[in-house]
Amino acid sequence: MEILDHVMDALDVETFLICDSEEEGRALALELIKEMGFKDFDIVNLDYQGVGARVRVRAYIHRSGDKYGWLQLPKEVN
Amino acid sequence: MSKKKQVLLAPLDPVHDIGLKMIRRGLEHGGHKTHLLPPDLPAEEIIQEIINRDAETVLISRTLGYGVAELLARFVDLVDAAGLRDKVTLGIGGMAIRPELAAELGFDAGFGPGTTVEEAVAFVEGKEFKAAKQGVEKKKVDITSGYSYQFINEGLGRKIEQVAELIIQWAENKTSPGVRRAVVRDELWDVERWRNRQGNSEFDKEYPQLCGEQPRNYYFKGELHPKTRRFTREEVIALEKFIHETKPRVMLNRLQHTKSRPVVFNQYGTGCPFMDIGHIKVSEAWGADGVVHFDPSWGARTEGFFDGFLTHQEDGTVITPANLNRIHGGLEPSTLWQVRAHRGLNTPETVVLGAKIGADLTKINICYGSLGAGTDPERLTVDGYHAIRYAAKYKMPFDVVTNEELAGVPAHKAFAGMLIVSALAVKLGGRPMLQPLFAYSPEAMISEQMEDNYVDFNAAKIYALKSIIDAPIWPGAPIGFLTQTEDRVQSSTTTALHACLASSLGVDAISIASSDEAYSGGPIAVPSRTDTLKAVGEGFRFFGGTGISPSERAKIWAEELTESIEAVVDQVIDTGDFVEALYQGVLGNREEGAYPGRAGKGTVRQVES
Repeated sequence: MEILDHVMDALDVETFLICDSEEEGRALALELIKEMGFKDFDIVNLDYQGVGARVRVRAYIHRSGDKYGWLQLPKEVN
Repeated sequence: MSKKKQVLLAPLDPVHDIGLKMIRRGLEHGGHKTHLLPPDLPAEEIIQEIINRDAETVLISRTLGYGVAELLARFVDLVDAAGLRDKVTLGIGGMAIRPELAAELGFDAGFGPGTTVEEAVAFVEGKEFKAAKQGVEKKKVDITSGYSYQFINEGLGRKIEQVAELIIQWAENKTSPGVRRAVVRDELWDVERWRNRQGNSEFDKEYPQLCGEQPRNYYFKGELHPKTRRFTREEVIALEKFIHETKPRVMLNRLQHTKSRPVVFNQYGTGCPFMDIGHIKVSEAWGADGVVHFDPSWGARTEGFFDGFLTHQEDGTVITPANLNRIHGGLEPSTLWQVRAHRGLNTPETVVLGAKIGADLTKINICYGSLGAGTDPERLTVDGYHAIRYAAKYKMPFDVVTNEELAGVPAHKAFAGMLIVSALAVKLGGRPMLQPLFAYSPEAMISEQMEDNYVDFNAAKIYALKSIIDAPIWPGAPIGFLTQTEDRVQSSTTTALHACLASSLGVDAISIASSDEAYSGGPIAVPSRTDTLKAVGEGFRFFGGTGISPSERAKIWAEELTESIEAVVDQVIDTGDFVEALYQGVLGNREEGAYPGRAGKGTVRQVES
């Protein structure tokens, strides 16, 4: 069982990014989650206030209807 | 009987020694001799005290985290240098302490946050500490118990009952495809035979004939809804294993601090019954008392249910007997389970199906379902009437939701509709629960009744309802919704504050929003549920037995609300026809955003004699 298989549905990455604008914060947040290797992601919340952006980026590990790693299915049906 | 020990308690900290004081009391109860040193002594002095007191066990506390590792390592080195390390047992505790750190630094044990006095005493006595199973014993609550359902405002009550009587006369000789399916589900579907895969041949023959195209295609051609798929056998086996292994580990918690109410509900509906069960188990473990099944919006516009164990790729979990049955099997015995039946073409059948599978509660509202959720008023009045009769037959309480925030219908109109449906329910032997909304609703935005605070107008709603009828009140669907943003902290805090207001006003139950509720980019993730539940629990702890005091405006607004409700009821009476009043917008008009629904239009028939 891989570590990410333990995630029930999604992994949230929360941080504060130093940036000049909301747009830059958004671009940086997406870059960050891509660099982490995730492919199915979205910005749940981004709050820019001049200094930078408080951001919550979500990477979906298991969506409804998927095969769930935490169910420990036999390998052949995964 | 363990040997009594000489224990030295030393706060290696500038100020904090509360933890050691608590442990000292526990040790003294156990007959041990304790010596508590004052805070902020140098390590050398503590070591001298170990020698002077001939201590066998030394418990050090360190609350502050900066430089903690270096400080503690130096302490152990000095104990070593004094030749004491083999003679004393060393324990360290505090906010910044983890067992791994303690072991690394050379302590015999490390106690982090959450350590109990019993654990520390067991350590001193050299015993293995077995934590009692944490969590609380919970019992299923009947939200409706103790209510008389008598109108307190007798004049208004008589008028509302007059409208309820109009509905009975209008609806009792009418039927619809939804009602006919409910009759078949009620009379021909044996849930135990279905569970044992023995078939219900008469039901299997009759039911598909009464369904719309999609479910009919399922029964006759095996076609599924395009957004759904069946689970594989391996997945079902894996789910059963997951439930079997998880259930014994789930420890229930209570969100309420000292009060027993409000009962807290959390809505689920990830699309997938597997994921739902996961979310439900988390909700239970983090303190939710009940859960609400949320179905896909297309389900309300479909005549009939599919069967089979189906997962769905979008928000809302498909209602099928197999899905409901599996979810029911995953619930803790104390968890209240609501299967909503309030708004669509399957309203009466949902009550029957939910009741037969084991639901505790349902949700029925003729007015909101036909003005804000897409079902034709005539059809939903007939279906709602029969749904209420089934709810009464199966002794299943139900809430009557207003959802005034969705359509923008003012509270007095929404409440008039809710009270009419509730009075109808009481006449038919049902046990309705009033469900006003707590939120920064469009009506309040326009009227500026929440410019100053979120307390007074919400309080006015409760005061008004309590002055009209003696019935349970369950703000929700959910509280705080529309007041939330995508921000986790804001959403959790706002929900918690609404929950505390609800508690302060003495309501019976609440449905809470998860902190992702305002985020429309995807499904609610399970950590959002824990965030909100934790926030609500903390709010209940913060206020405890004390309360929030609304201003005098709340009472004034409550009186205005009551008068306005009466004026709406008078208008319905003047119309002489409840259904016509719905079409005419008496209970919510187009300007307010309430449109009579069209689903099921023209499907109501007179009962053939």
